[in-house]
Amino acid sequence: MITLTHFLVVSAFIFCIGLYAVLAKKNAIMILVGIELMINAAILNFVAFGKYDKINYGGQIFALFAIVLAAAAVAVGLAIILNVYRYYKTVNPDQIRELKD
Amino acid sequence: MPTLSLLIFLPLLATAIILALPSRFKDVYKYIALAITAVQLVLAGMAYFSFNPTSTGINTLAGYQLVEQLPWIRLDLGTIGKLEIDYLLGVDGISMPLLVLSTFVMLMAIGASWNMKKSLKGYFALLMLLNMAVIGIFCALDFFLFYLFYEVMLLPLYFLIGIWGGERREYAAMKFFIYTLFGSVFMLLVIVGLYFSVINPLTGAHTFSMIHMMNPDNYVAGSIFALDGYQEIFGISARLIGFIVLFFAFAIKVPIVPLHTWLPDAHVEAPTPVSIILAGILLKIGGYGIIRVCFSIFPDAAAQSNWWLGLIGVISILYGAFNALAQKDLKRLIAYSSVSHMGFVLLGLASFTAEGISGAMFQMISHGFLSAALFFLVGVIYDRVHDRYIPHFRGLATIMPKYTAYVAIAFFASLGLPGFSAFIAEAFVIIGTFNSASLGTGLPRWMAIAGSVGILMSAAYLLWTLQRMFFGQTRLKGGDSWNTALVDLTGREQLILFPTLALALILGICPFIVFDQMNASVINLVAFIQQYN
Amino acid sequence: MDFLLNISPICTAFLTVVIPLLAFLYQAIVGKKDQSGLVGTLAIIFSFVLSLLTFLDVWNAMPLSSEITWFKIGNTTFTVGILLNNLSSLMLLLVSTIAVPVHIYSKSYMHGDAGIHRYWMYLSLFCFAMLGLVIMNNLLLMYVFWELVGFASYLLIGFWYTKDAAVQANKKAFLVNRIGDLGFLIGIAIVYSQFGTLNLVTLFGNDGLIANTSVENGLWISPHNSMDAIWLTVTGISFFLGAMAKSAQFPLHVWLPDAMEGPTSVSSLIHAATMVAAGVFLMSTLFPLFNDTVLLIIAIIGTTTATIAAYFALAQYDIKKILAFSTISQLGYMMVGIGIGTWDAAMFHLLTHAFFKCLLFLCAGAVIHEMAHLKAHSKQDFDPQDLRNMGGLRHYMPQTFILMTIASLALAGFPLTSGYLSKDSIIISAFEWASAKGPMFQIVPITLIIVSIMTAFYIGRLLFKAFFSELRIKSLLGSSVDLNESPKLMLWPMYFLGICCVFPLFSFNPISYHDAWVMDGLLVQYPYETNHTAHLVIPMILTVGALSVWVLAWRWYAQGQYPLHANSLANRISLNQGYLNIFNEKIIVNSVLNLSKLSYWIDRHIVDGFIHIFINFIQQIALLSHWLDKNIVDGLVNTFGKIALLLGNFARSTQNGKLQTYLYSVFLLVIVGLVYLLLR
Repeated sequence: MITLTHFLVVSAFIFCIGLYAVLAKKNAIMILVGIELMINAAILNFVAFGKYDKINYGGQIFALFAIVLAAAAVAVGLAIILNVYRYYKTVNPDQIRELKD
Repeated sequence: MPTLSLLIFLPLLATAIILALPSRFKDVYKYIALAITAVQLVLAGMAYFSFNPTSTGINTLAGYQLVEQLPWIRLDLGTIGKLEIDYLLGVDGISMPLLVLSTFVMLMAIGASWNMKKSLKGYFALLMLLNMAVIGIFCALDFFLFYLFYEVMLLPLYFLIGIWGGERREYAAMKFFIYTLFGSVFMLLVIVGLYFSVINPLTGAHTFSMIHMMNPDNYVAGSIFALDGYQEIFGISARLIGFIVLFFAFAIKVPIVPLHTWLPDAHVEAPTPVSIILAGILLKIGGYGIIRVCFSIFPDAAAQSNWWLGLIGVISILYGAFNALAQKDLKRLIAYSSVSHMGFVLLGLASFTAEGISGAMFQMISHGFLSAALFFLVGVIYDRVHDRYIPHFRGLATIMPKYTAYVAIAFFASLGLPGFSAFIAEAFVIIGTFNSASLGTGLPRWMAIAGSVGILMSAAYLLWTLQRMFFGQTRLKGGDSWNTALVDLTGREQLILFPTLALALILGICPFIVFDQMNASVINLVAFIQQYN
Repeated sequence: MDFLLNISPICTAFLTVVIPLLAFLYQAIVGKKDQSGLVGTLAIIFSFVLSLLTFLDVWNAMPLSSEITWFKIGNTTFTVGILLNNLSSLMLLLVSTIAVPVHIYSKSYMHGDAGIHRYWMYLSLFCFAMLGLVIMNNLLLMYVFWELVGFASYLLIGFWYTKDAAVQANKKAFLVNRIGDLGFLIGIAIVYSQFGTLNLVTLFGNDGLIANTSVENGLWISPHNSMDAIWLTVTGISFFLGAMAKSAQFPLHVWLPDAMEGPTSVSSLIHAATMVAAGVFLMSTLFPLFNDTVLLIIAIIGTTTATIAAYFALAQYDIKKILAFSTISQLGYMMVGIGIGTWDAAMFHLLTHAFFKCLLFLCAGAVIHEMAHLKAHSKQDFDPQDLRNMGGLRHYMPQTFILMTIASLALAGFPLTSGYLSKDSIIISAFEWASAKGPMFQIVPITLIIVSIMTAFYIGRLLFKAFFSELRIKSLLGSSVDLNESPKLMLWPMYFLGICCVFPLFSFNPISYHDAWVMDGLLVQYPYETNHTAHLVIPMILTVGALSVWVLAWRWYAQGQYPLHANSLANRISLNQGYLNIFNEKIIVNSVLNLSKLSYWIDRHIVDGFIHIFINFIQQIALLSHWLDKNIVDGLVNTFGKIALLLGNFARSTQNGKLQTYLYSVFLLVIVGLVYLLLR
């Protein structure tokens, strides 16, 4: 039987993959994908824990919210990346170092 | 209508407007300044003619007019007592004429700045700030407020000389600043000492009100400046020291010899309008301070030391006159003549006679107009050829007849030709000083005689200058190019000069315009000091 | 005419003074547009009529005084007022009477001058000031007008302002007069201090303050105050100093000869007839204030002046300079008159002198005018004022010659002239005074007699040199000598003055001055006896002496039998005015200038130097504290700073701008936190 633990383990894996993508990828799109993965890992957790709330289905509802928000965030993120690309002619985060002191 | 507050804060309004307007409106600045100053003059003039000449002023608040009193800073300092600073304004017969003089001279200065080119925004903003400060000084009756205005005045002047001045402007500005600051820092010490010595009898709190400082009953027994408990610093009476410190603070402004050397440098380097303000108003603040602060708060010390004040006055008169005789720079000559003429103020004040003090007051007013006119006249040729060395000019009368006429009138007026205001002033200073010995106020008669030699000397240096620069066959250093550059007075210049010299003439013929308004105050001042003699 | 006589004399006197002022203002406003001087001339004629009315009303009647409040200082009120008594109304009339012919004369004399509008303006100003001076009723206002006449005279002397000599002269005149003005001012201060008022009526009226003043135990006591007796003398000397400068008494006479640089018409009005006499008028007004010491000083100075000036006049070549020194000399006489207590005689001489000296100047002006004309026509360069260039002028200008002769006779004091009466009155009184005082004092009348004879000589010299023998520059001019009689507009005023030079105008008895109406009107009580022998002998000595020196002068100058060496020492001293000018220039002026240079040097180097040293000192302290600050205080601070810098640099290295590094560090931090939570 697939228990809560399994869900959590899978979610942790997905999260770690996302984290890795965010920290290591040299393409902003891939970083965005990493972020999506991390969000989806969290959503998975919501759904998994949702079984404890059979009256209001709070977990599922939150998951739906999060999916919508993630979608919105991706749109915004892509827009930003597009602008960054226009401005810097690159989407490699290593080459965008304006935050340096 | 709070006339005095209006007078003080109108220029501040002008400063604000000028700063707010973007610099593409830079031609408008002078009109704003002119309008505000004109309004001030009208206000001051109205106040002057509605002034009640019977009010005694000096040491009772009831004797002041147009009084405005608002509590400003009230702090409970626990065991030290309560801090009480008022926004206290008022005028009496001493400050009223000087107030009108200041607004008039300010108007002249604005007129003289008409062709100013360099960073107008800052210039007019600073000029208006200066305007506010000097009016404030003449109105303030609270020592704290007075000191505030006194210090605020320094700032715009420093920049006006230091930015818009001549070649050695930084040196001159620095010298001026250091001199004045030197005086005023020590003044602050005395103010604090006075604050701890005086309480307001109504509230029991320590106070900065000058009026309360003038009443011996308000001094806390045993305090540093108390009249009864004889406090000493380095073996000298504390009150005498307080008097001397305050006297020097103001005497630097007057200026007295040997604390006068900032004046020629400041005048020579300053632009014409600033010279006008310096000579016309700033020097009078010294004289006013001596009356309002030194004499009124420390009458006992004043009565004790007037021999020295008289001596300093005589030395200033003669020394200034001799120095003026040696000058080749016209502006420097007039600067030294200011030293000489202001010496009469000190001599007259030191006499403690009604004639002497009235004469001194009149001299301040008369010198205010005349020195302003003289500096303006120097500015006229300097504008045209950027030179003002006396030997470089000769026979100007032929090419600039109107200018020569104005210069001659101004020169004769300031050398004390009867019919002009300086004559009344100087004659009564001499008469008052002479009378001092008969009334027992302590100035020896030789001081009057020595002082009168200054009148002779002023005729000598002014007439000599007139002869050297204006008469004879025309011969200019710059040759033909100067000959074309030296055009006669323009309409604007005449518009400024004519009222000034006309005023000097009117005051010379009708001195009662001034004497009537200040007589009661002068009598009160003399009586006030005399009780310590 | 009745209604005119009903106007109060105060009113007419006031108008007399104000009308020239209005003319002045008119001319000042109109400027160049009106060059005719008609307004000024009409004004002075009006003034003359009004002053005549005033005089007729006031002479030998009760003195009148009227005043209004001017201003108040302390508890003293100062007033503006008019005082009309015999003395002031006489002066008022005199001034306006002299001014009228001079104005008319000027119309012709100054015709065509470029700055003529200024001339009329200044002349009106002078008339205003001079008329005001004589009728003011308090000392302060007298002082005001006293300086104003000096100012007007300054303007007129420097009328030709492009001429260097003229502008030097007017400066000198004003400055020398200023010395006197200081005396006047100090005198005023003393009087004010002692009496508490400057009003002439209160001071000098019957039972006035002066009358109630006494000197006791070395104290000068007035009802108002008292001071050391020495101040009484000082007062007198102060006022006399004022009079000395204005009336050109030795050694303050130096300005008057130079003042001849002005137009001759001006010299005649101001520097001969009226302004210079103001000192005498002042002395007469203040006479009760003087004690014996002061009077003696006045007499001595007067005698000295009369002698020295007469001596200087002997060898001058400039026709105007001779007349100037003659004026100084005659003013010396008047001062002697004051000094010996007979101020009525002094005033009498002032009156007669005004007419004949004015005429002398106008005649000299006519001569100069023609000579200048000649110079302009012939295009030769010679000095039109130099006597050495003249000669034989009586052929060309007969009327001028006659008038000049009348005036010269009056000056020399020949009988039947006015000068005879007035000069005798002073000399005889001086003799009587000396007899009463003691033998030493006889020096004064004897000197005066000698001076009188000298006077006759130098005026004779002028007359003979200018009008007799032959024109000396004829060779220069060739055949045509274009010299004419003066125009009528100049001659009429001269005729008028000529009439005023003879005796009937002043006294119907041509030989006794006691019958002169002026002397009767002023009525001074002499403190000494009349000496009848002197009255007989002195006029005879004077007449005979004058006659004989004229004969001598005739032989020397008209006939050219000059026996002396022109370059002798006595002549040179006289010509160079005793080298007084050089002395003044070299010693007094230079020392004042050097003193001023010294004081400027002190100002630059000592006063300012002290300030600079002070500032330097502060700068050194500042440098020292800067060093301390940099190396000690800052060293400590810097150590900390460096440590902080190292740490900072280390921390800075993490700030590389890479977003992923930042996220990585966040991740590490979370891990560290988690590990901490786990291990706790």
